[in-house]
Amino acid sequence: MVGLRSEESLLTQMHHFFYIVYIMPARDYLGEFEHIVLLTVLRLGDQAYGVTVRREIEARTRREVSIGAIYATLDRLEAKGYVQSRVGGPTAERGGRSKRFFRVTAQGVSAIKHTHRALRSLTEGLALLKTRS
Amino acid sequence: MTRELPHPHPPRLAAWLVALFTSAAQAESILGDLHEEFFDIVSKAGIASARRWYWRQSAETIAHLASAGFRVAPWSLAGVVLLGFLLRRFDFQLPEWIIVAILRAQRPYSNLHYGFYVWLVTYGIPIVGVIQTVLIGCIVAAFAKGREIVATTTLSIVSPFAFLLHFLLVGGHWSNSIFIFPWRFLIIQVENLVGLVIGGVLVREFRSVVARRFSRTSP
Repeated sequence: MVGLRSEESLLTQMHHFFYIVYIMPARDYLGEFEHIVLLTVLRLGDQAYGVTVRREIEARTRREVSIGAIYATLDRLEAKGYVQSRVGGPTAERGGRSKRFFRVTAQGVSAIKHTHRALRSLTEGLALLKTRS
Repeated sequence: MTRELPHPHPPRLAAWLVALFTSAAQAESILGDLHEEFFDIVSKAGIASARRWYWRQSAETIAHLASAGFRVAPWSLAGVVLLGFLLRRFDFQLPEWIIVAILRAQRPYSNLHYGFYVWLVTYGIPIVGVIQTVLIGCIVAAFAKGREIVATTTLSIVSPFAFLLHFLLVGGHWSNSIFIFPWRFLIIQVENLVGLVIGGVLVREFRSVVARRFSRTSP
Protein backbone atom coordinates (compact mmCIF):
# COMPACT_ATOMS: atom_id res chain seq x y z
CA MET A 1 0.00 0.00 0.00
CA VAL A 2 2.80 2.32 0.96
CA GLY A 3 4.65 1.44 -2.27
CA LEU A 4 1.54 2.13 -4.33
CA ARG A 5 1.11 5.53 -2.70
CA SER A 6 4.72 6.49 -3.30
CA GLU A 7 4.36 5.45 -6.96
CA GLU A 8 1.21 7.52 -7.24
CA SER A 9 2.95 10.49 -5.68
CA LEU A 10 5.90 10.04 -8.05
CA LEU A 11 3.53 9.95 -11.02
CA THR A 12 1.84 13.11 -9.82
CA GLN A 13 5.23 14.78 -9.37
CA MET A 14 6.29 13.71 -12.86
CA HIS A 15 3.01 15.04 -14.23
CA HIS A 16 3.65 18.39 -12.54
CA PHE A 17 7.23 18.42 -13.77
CA PHE A 18 6.20 17.95 -17.41
CA TYR A 19 3.43 20.52 -16.99
CA ILE A 20 5.90 23.06 -15.58
CA VAL A 21 8.39 22.40 -18.40
CA TYR A 22 5.54 22.73 -20.91
CA ILE A 23 4.29 26.07 -19.59
CA MET A 24 7.68 27.59 -18.73
CA PRO A 25 8.42 29.17 -22.14
CA ALA A 26 4.91 30.61 -22.34
CA ARG A 27 5.05 32.35 -18.93
CA ASP A 28 7.08 35.35 -17.83
CA TYR A 29 9.05 33.64 -15.06
CA LEU A 30 12.55 34.92 -14.49
CA GLY A 31 15.73 33.09 -13.54
CA GLU A 32 17.36 34.11 -10.25
CA PHE A 33 20.06 36.30 -11.76
CA GLU A 34 17.68 37.71 -14.38
CA HIS A 35 15.39 38.70 -11.53
CA ILE A 36 18.23 40.43 -9.64
CA VAL A 37 19.44 42.30 -12.74
CA LEU A 38 15.94 43.41 -13.73
CA LEU A 39 15.20 44.74 -10.21
CA THR A 40 18.54 46.55 -10.16
CA VAL A 41 17.88 48.22 -13.51
CA LEU A 42 14.46 49.24 -12.19
CA ARG A 43 16.02 50.72 -9.02
CA LEU A 44 18.67 52.67 -10.93
CA GLY A 45 16.22 54.29 -13.34
CA ASP A 46 17.99 56.53 -15.89
CA GLN A 47 21.44 55.70 -14.52
CA ALA A 48 21.41 51.96 -15.28
CA TYR A 49 24.49 50.92 -17.26
CA GLY A 50 27.08 48.14 -16.80
CA VAL A 51 29.16 49.77 -14.03
CA THR A 52 26.25 51.05 -11.91
CA VAL A 53 24.31 47.78 -12.28
CA ARG A 54 27.36 45.77 -11.19
CA ARG A 55 28.07 48.02 -8.19
CA GLU A 56 24.43 48.06 -7.08
CA ILE A 57 24.19 44.26 -7.21
CA GLU A 58 27.44 43.87 -5.27
CA ALA A 59 26.37 46.42 -2.67
CA ARG A 60 22.89 44.97 -2.13
CA THR A 61 23.48 41.23 -2.49
CA ARG A 62 27.14 41.10 -1.31
CA ARG A 63 27.81 38.89 -4.31
CA GLU A 64 30.69 39.50 -6.70
CA VAL A 65 29.57 39.60 -10.31
CA SER A 66 31.45 40.15 -13.56
CA ILE A 67 30.65 42.68 -16.26
CA GLY A 68 30.31 39.76 -18.69
CA ALA A 69 27.63 38.06 -16.57
CA ILE A 70 25.66 41.31 -16.44
CA TYR A 71 25.87 41.92 -20.18
CA ALA A 72 25.04 38.30 -21.05
CA THR A 73 21.94 38.56 -18.83
CA LEU A 74 20.95 42.01 -20.10
CA ASP A 75 21.28 40.84 -23.71
CA ARG A 76 19.06 37.87 -22.93
CA LEU A 77 16.51 40.13 -21.22
CA GLU A 78 16.61 42.51 -24.18
CA ALA A 79 15.97 39.62 -26.58
CA LYS A 80 12.93 38.66 -24.46
CA GLY A 81 11.71 42.28 -24.60
CA TYR A 82 12.09 42.90 -20.84
CA VAL A 83 14.64 45.72 -21.18
CA GLN A 84 15.52 48.28 -23.82
CA SER A 85 18.93 49.86 -24.33
CA ARG A 86 20.20 53.10 -25.77
CA VAL A 87 23.77 54.24 -26.40
CA GLY A 88 24.96 57.43 -24.65
CA GLY A 89 27.77 59.75 -25.71
CA PRO A 90 31.45 58.78 -25.38
CA THR A 91 33.29 60.06 -22.29
CA ALA A 92 37.00 60.56 -21.53
CA GLU A 93 36.87 58.54 -18.28
CA ARG A 94 35.84 55.53 -20.36
CA GLY A 95 38.67 55.90 -22.87
CA GLY A 96 36.39 57.63 -25.37
CA ARG A 97 33.86 54.82 -25.30
CA SER A 98 30.13 55.29 -24.87
CA LYS A 99 27.80 53.91 -22.18
CA ARG A 100 24.88 51.62 -22.92
CA PHE A 101 21.93 52.60 -20.73
CA PHE A 102 19.14 50.14 -19.96
CA ARG A 103 15.54 50.59 -18.88
CA VAL A 104 12.87 48.07 -17.94
CA THR A 105 9.91 47.78 -20.33
CA ALA A 106 6.26 47.22 -19.37
CA GLN A 107 6.73 43.56 -20.30
CA GLY A 108 9.71 43.42 -17.92
CA VAL A 109 7.65 44.90 -15.08
CA SER A 110 4.95 42.33 -15.75
CA ALA A 111 7.59 39.55 -15.63
CA ILE A 112 8.80 40.82 -12.24
CA LYS A 113 5.21 40.80 -10.94
CA HIS A 114 4.61 37.25 -12.20
CA THR A 115 7.79 36.02 -10.53
CA HIS A 116 6.99 37.80 -7.27
CA ARG A 117 3.49 36.33 -7.23
CA ALA A 118 4.91 32.84 -7.78
CA LEU A 119 7.54 33.31 -5.04
CA ARG A 120 4.97 34.69 -2.60
CA SER A 121 2.69 31.76 -3.26
CA LEU A 122 5.57 29.32 -2.70
CA THR A 123 6.70 30.94 0.56
CA GLU A 124 3.22 31.45 2.01
CA GLY A 125 2.70 29.61 5.28
CA LEU A 126 6.23 28.27 5.53
CA ALA A 127 6.97 27.96 9.24
CA LEU A 128 10.73 28.19 8.70
CA LEU A 129 10.47 31.65 7.16
CA LYS A 130 8.02 32.84 9.80
CA THR A 131 10.31 31.96 12.70
CA ARG A 132 13.32 33.57 11.01
CA SER A 133 11.50 36.81 10.30
CA MET B 1 62.72 68.38 -10.69
CA THR B 2 59.99 65.79 -10.40
CA ARG B 3 59.60 62.90 -12.78
CA GLU B 4 56.10 62.53 -14.19
CA LEU B 5 54.64 59.10 -13.53
CA PRO B 6 53.59 57.15 -16.65
CA HIS B 7 49.86 57.35 -17.37
CA PRO B 8 48.33 54.01 -16.31
CA HIS B 9 46.39 52.09 -18.89
CA PRO B 10 44.44 48.82 -18.70
CA PRO B 11 46.23 45.63 -19.90
CA ARG B 12 46.02 45.80 -23.69
CA LEU B 13 46.13 42.04 -24.19
CA ALA B 14 43.20 41.49 -21.83
CA ALA B 15 41.18 44.23 -23.56
CA TRP B 16 41.98 42.73 -26.97
CA LEU B 17 40.87 39.26 -25.84
CA VAL B 18 37.59 40.64 -24.49
CA ALA B 19 37.02 42.49 -27.78
CA LEU B 20 37.53 39.24 -29.72
CA PHE B 21 34.64 37.55 -27.92
CA THR B 22 32.17 40.41 -28.28
CA SER B 23 30.38 41.99 -31.19
CA ALA B 24 31.61 45.47 -32.18
CA ALA B 25 28.62 47.19 -30.52
CA GLN B 26 28.98 45.13 -27.33
CA ALA B 27 32.75 45.71 -27.16
CA GLU B 28 32.24 49.48 -26.99
CA SER B 29 30.13 49.32 -23.82
CA ILE B 30 31.91 46.40 -22.11
CA LEU B 31 35.42 47.79 -22.64
CA GLY B 32 34.19 51.24 -21.60
CA ASP B 33 32.82 49.80 -18.34
CA LEU B 34 36.05 47.90 -17.66
CA HIS B 35 38.07 51.07 -18.39
CA GLU B 36 35.94 53.18 -16.05
CA GLU B 37 36.20 50.69 -13.19
CA PHE B 38 39.92 50.21 -13.81
CA PHE B 39 40.64 53.91 -13.19
CA ASP B 40 38.39 53.91 -10.17
CA ILE B 41 40.43 51.06 -8.65
CA VAL B 42 43.73 52.74 -9.67
CA SER B 43 42.74 55.82 -7.65
CA LYS B 44 41.63 53.73 -4.64
CA ALA B 45 44.03 50.77 -4.50
CA GLY B 46 46.86 51.39 -6.98
CA ILE B 47 47.80 50.18 -10.42
CA ALA B 48 48.89 46.64 -9.51
CA SER B 49 45.59 45.79 -7.88
CA ALA B 50 43.68 47.47 -10.73
CA ARG B 51 45.55 45.37 -13.26
CA ARG B 52 44.81 42.17 -11.32
CA TRP B 53 41.17 43.14 -11.14
CA TYR B 54 41.11 43.87 -14.89
CA TRP B 55 42.59 40.48 -15.80
CA ARG B 56 40.21 38.62 -13.50
CA GLN B 57 37.18 40.52 -14.82
CA SER B 58 38.33 39.95 -18.41
CA ALA B 59 38.68 36.18 -17.87
CA GLU B 60 35.23 35.96 -16.24
CA THR B 61 33.72 38.17 -18.94
CA ILE B 62 35.18 36.01 -21.72
CA ALA B 63 33.84 32.86 -20.03
CA HIS B 64 30.36 34.37 -19.74
CA LEU B 65 30.34 35.73 -23.29
CA ALA B 66 31.59 32.42 -24.70
CA SER B 67 28.92 30.43 -22.86
CA ALA B 68 26.28 32.97 -23.95
CA GLY B 69 27.59 32.48 -27.51
CA PHE B 70 26.74 28.77 -27.21
CA ARG B 71 23.33 29.31 -25.62
CA VAL B 72 22.09 31.95 -28.08
CA ALA B 73 21.07 30.17 -31.31
CA PRO B 74 22.96 26.91 -30.65
CA TRP B 75 21.67 25.31 -33.86
CA SER B 76 23.11 28.01 -36.10
CA LEU B 77 26.45 27.62 -34.30
CA ALA B 78 26.26 23.84 -34.75
CA GLY B 79 25.51 24.37 -38.46
CA VAL B 80 28.51 26.62 -38.92
CA VAL B 81 30.77 24.15 -37.08
CA LEU B 82 29.44 21.32 -39.27
CA LEU B 83 30.16 23.40 -42.38
CA GLY B 84 33.74 23.88 -41.19
CA PHE B 85 34.10 20.19 -40.43
CA LEU B 86 32.84 19.22 -43.91
CA LEU B 87 35.23 21.70 -45.52
CA ARG B 88 38.10 20.19 -43.53
CA ARG B 89 36.95 16.69 -44.41
CA PHE B 90 36.68 17.21 -48.16
CA ASP B 91 39.71 19.47 -48.49
CA PHE B 92 41.89 17.18 -46.41
CA GLN B 93 44.13 16.16 -49.32
CA LEU B 94 43.98 19.50 -51.13
CA PRO B 95 47.49 20.64 -50.03
CA GLU B 96 48.99 17.44 -51.46
CA TRP B 97 47.10 17.86 -54.73
CA ILE B 98 48.25 21.49 -55.03
CA ILE B 99 51.91 20.64 -54.41
CA VAL B 100 51.76 17.68 -56.83
CA ALA B 101 50.13 19.92 -59.46
CA ILE B 102 52.91 22.52 -59.01
CA LEU B 103 55.59 19.84 -59.27
CA ARG B 104 54.02 18.41 -62.44
CA ALA B 105 53.64 21.82 -64.06
CA GLN B 106 57.07 23.24 -63.15
CA ARG B 107 59.12 20.03 -63.17
CA PRO B 108 61.70 21.64 -60.85
CA TYR B 109 63.57 18.34 -60.43
CA SER B 110 64.38 18.27 -64.15
CA ASN B 111 66.16 21.63 -64.14
CA LEU B 112 68.55 23.54 -61.96
CA HIS B 113 66.01 24.37 -59.21
CA TYR B 114 66.49 21.10 -57.42
CA GLY B 115 66.85 22.85 -54.05
CA PHE B 116 63.44 24.44 -54.58
CA TYR B 117 61.99 21.01 -55.38
CA VAL B 118 63.33 19.57 -52.12
CA TRP B 119 62.04 22.59 -50.17
CA LEU B 120 58.60 22.28 -51.82
CA VAL B 121 58.33 18.58 -51.08
CA THR B 122 59.48 19.03 -47.47
CA TYR B 123 57.65 22.20 -46.41
CA GLY B 124 55.15 22.89 -49.20
CA ILE B 125 52.38 20.58 -48.01
CA PRO B 126 52.39 21.77 -44.35
CA ILE B 127 52.49 25.43 -45.48
CA VAL B 128 49.58 24.99 -47.91
CA GLY B 129 47.79 23.04 -45.15
CA VAL B 130 48.12 25.97 -42.71
CA ILE B 131 46.92 28.47 -45.35
CA GLN B 132 43.97 26.19 -46.15
CA THR B 133 43.06 25.87 -42.44
CA VAL B 134 43.23 29.66 -41.97
CA LEU B 135 40.94 30.09 -45.00
CA ILE B 136 38.44 27.58 -43.57
CA GLY B 137 38.62 29.48 -40.25
CA CYS B 138 37.81 32.68 -42.18
CA ILE B 139 34.83 31.04 -43.93
CA VAL B 140 33.44 29.66 -40.64
CA ALA B 141 33.94 33.02 -38.90
CA ALA B 142 32.27 34.86 -41.79
CA PHE B 143 29.12 32.77 -41.27
CA ALA B 144 29.24 33.02 -37.45
CA LYS B 145 28.72 36.76 -37.25
CA GLY B 146 29.42 38.11 -33.75
CA ARG B 147 30.58 34.65 -32.55
CA GLU B 148 33.65 34.23 -34.74
CA ILE B 149 36.03 33.05 -32.03
CA VAL B 150 33.45 30.82 -30.32
CA ALA B 151 32.70 29.09 -33.65
CA THR B 152 36.31 28.60 -34.75
CA THR B 153 37.46 27.47 -31.28
CA THR B 154 34.57 24.98 -31.09
CA LEU B 155 35.44 23.64 -34.54
CA SER B 156 39.11 23.27 -33.65
CA ILE B 157 38.24 21.38 -30.45
CA VAL B 158 35.50 19.25 -31.99
CA SER B 159 37.19 18.31 -35.27
CA PRO B 160 39.80 15.80 -33.98
CA PHE B 161 37.04 13.83 -32.21
CA ALA B 162 34.69 14.19 -35.18
CA PHE B 163 37.42 12.99 -37.57
CA LEU B 164 38.08 9.94 -35.44
CA LEU B 165 34.37 9.19 -35.04
CA HIS B 166 33.78 9.64 -38.76
CA PHE B 167 36.63 7.31 -39.58
CA LEU B 168 35.43 4.65 -37.14
CA LEU B 169 31.81 4.80 -38.32
CA VAL B 170 32.09 5.45 -42.04
CA GLY B 171 35.68 4.56 -42.83
CA GLY B 172 37.68 6.60 -45.28
CA HIS B 173 40.70 6.92 -47.45
CA TRP B 174 42.97 8.49 -44.89
CA SER B 175 46.65 8.14 -45.25
CA ASN B 176 47.86 5.17 -43.20
CA SER B 177 50.74 7.30 -41.96
CA ILE B 178 48.29 8.96 -39.55
CA PHE B 179 48.00 5.67 -37.70
CA ILE B 180 51.59 4.58 -38.21
CA PHE B 181 52.88 7.98 -37.04
CA PRO B 182 50.39 9.34 -34.46
CA TRP B 183 52.55 12.47 -34.10
CA ARG B 184 51.52 13.44 -37.64
CA PHE B 185 47.86 13.37 -36.56
CA LEU B 186 48.82 15.45 -33.52
CA ILE B 187 50.65 18.01 -35.67
CA ILE B 188 47.64 18.24 -38.00
CA GLN B 189 45.36 18.88 -35.01
CA VAL B 190 47.62 21.59 -33.56
CA GLU B 191 47.77 23.16 -37.03
CA ASN B 192 43.97 22.90 -37.08
CA LEU B 193 43.60 24.62 -33.72
CA VAL B 194 45.96 27.47 -34.52
CA GLY B 195 44.92 27.95 -38.16
CA LEU B 196 41.18 27.96 -37.52
CA VAL B 197 41.44 30.39 -34.59
CA ILE B 198 43.75 32.67 -36.62
CA GLY B 199 41.10 32.68 -39.37
CA GLY B 200 38.47 33.64 -36.78
CA VAL B 201 40.69 36.41 -35.34
CA LEU B 202 41.35 37.83 -38.85
CA VAL B 203 37.63 38.05 -39.67
CA ARG B 204 36.81 39.46 -36.20
CA GLU B 205 39.52 42.13 -36.50
CA PHE B 206 38.40 43.01 -40.04
CA ARG B 207 34.82 43.46 -38.82
CA SER B 208 35.98 45.60 -35.87
CA VAL B 209 37.96 47.88 -38.19
CA VAL B 210 34.96 48.23 -40.55
CA ALA B 211 32.62 48.94 -37.59
CA ARG B 212 35.01 51.59 -36.18
CA ARG B 213 35.33 53.31 -39.57
CA PHE B 214 31.57 53.21 -40.04
CA SER B 215 30.94 54.71 -36.58
CA ARG B 216 33.45 57.51 -37.29
CA THR B 217 31.93 58.44 -40.65
CA SER B 218 28.27 58.14 -39.57
CA PRO B 219 26.81 61.34 -38.04
